[in-house]
Amino acid sequence: MPVDRAHLGRRYGPFAFAVGREHVRDFVTALGGGVPGHVLSAAPDHAHPLTFDDDAARSGPHGGIVAPPGFAAAFAMEPFARAIADPALGLDLLRLVHGEQELEFLEPVRPGDLLSTSGELTRIDERGNLDVVEVTTSTVNQHGRTVVRGIWTAVVRR
Amino acid sequence: MKRRGDFAVGDTFRVVREVDPYRPIYYAAVSGDFNPIHVDPRVGRAAGFQGVILQGMCTYAWLADACAEYLGDPARLRRLRARFSRPLQIHDVVTFEGRCTALEGGAVRLEISARNQAGEDVLKGAVAEALVEEG
Repeated sequence: MPVDRAHLGRRYGPFAFAVGREHVRDFVTALGGGVPGHVLSAAPDHAHPLTFDDDAARSGPHGGIVAPPGFAAAFAMEPFARAIADPALGLDLLRLVHGEQELEFLEPVRPGDLLSTSGELTRIDERGNLDVVEVTTSTVNQHGRTVVRGIWTAVVRR
Repeated sequence: MKRRGDFAVGDTFRVVREVDPYRPIYYAAVSGDFNPIHVDPRVGRAAGFQGVILQGMCTYAWLADACAEYLGDPARLRRLRARFSRPLQIHDVVTFEGRCTALEGGAVRLEISARNQAGEDVLKGAVAEALVEEG
């Protein structure tokens, strides 16, 4: 059964998130083949020094480490996660995949930032035997500046 | 740090990443994405895969990092878009190959492919836009 378009505009959040220094470094470690919680054991593979190495980052363009772009999944995904599990939409999670992703990065995210993310259901479509559900998110920091905007698209096989 | 004059249309970059058996669990721990399809092989099999599949956002983060490595500063990345065309499974090896396709002032455009060890696209239409400040 197709998803009811009456749910368009449904909102999720705001969700608060405090960015921690070790969380950022754990994230970088996990991406780089290491073990979270063991950030000191070895430099992660392909870790950008500005996201990981305090000494390198301090003398860099941001005066300290910044979160890697992918860290947005940790603080901005919640509205999408809530939407796909929303009983009102009734999506079959076994038939659902993350179909498409777009993120826009407007300001660096740093340890100590207090972020707030809100999302809205912005698209419900049918494409052949697929249902397409899209959530648009916006994340604002403690200075009231938007840091990341996201378009999260799920595809569900019927 | 790379400067604006160091970028040229036609530049290429390449990064290889491997999905070891712990990666979906470790990525779940740091991202909060504990969807059972990423941590429970039975759920992965019920969904038609050989076992768990890697979170798409982990692949996306690798894609972003490949771009950031080329750009010199992760904060230069301004926009990143990709379609997930084939999930990554345990022991898959993914190769990201990027190319600078446009350069206008400080605006840089990158197109990136991501293929598994069989040469199949795991991402499609991956495009990044970046901004390199003057200097």
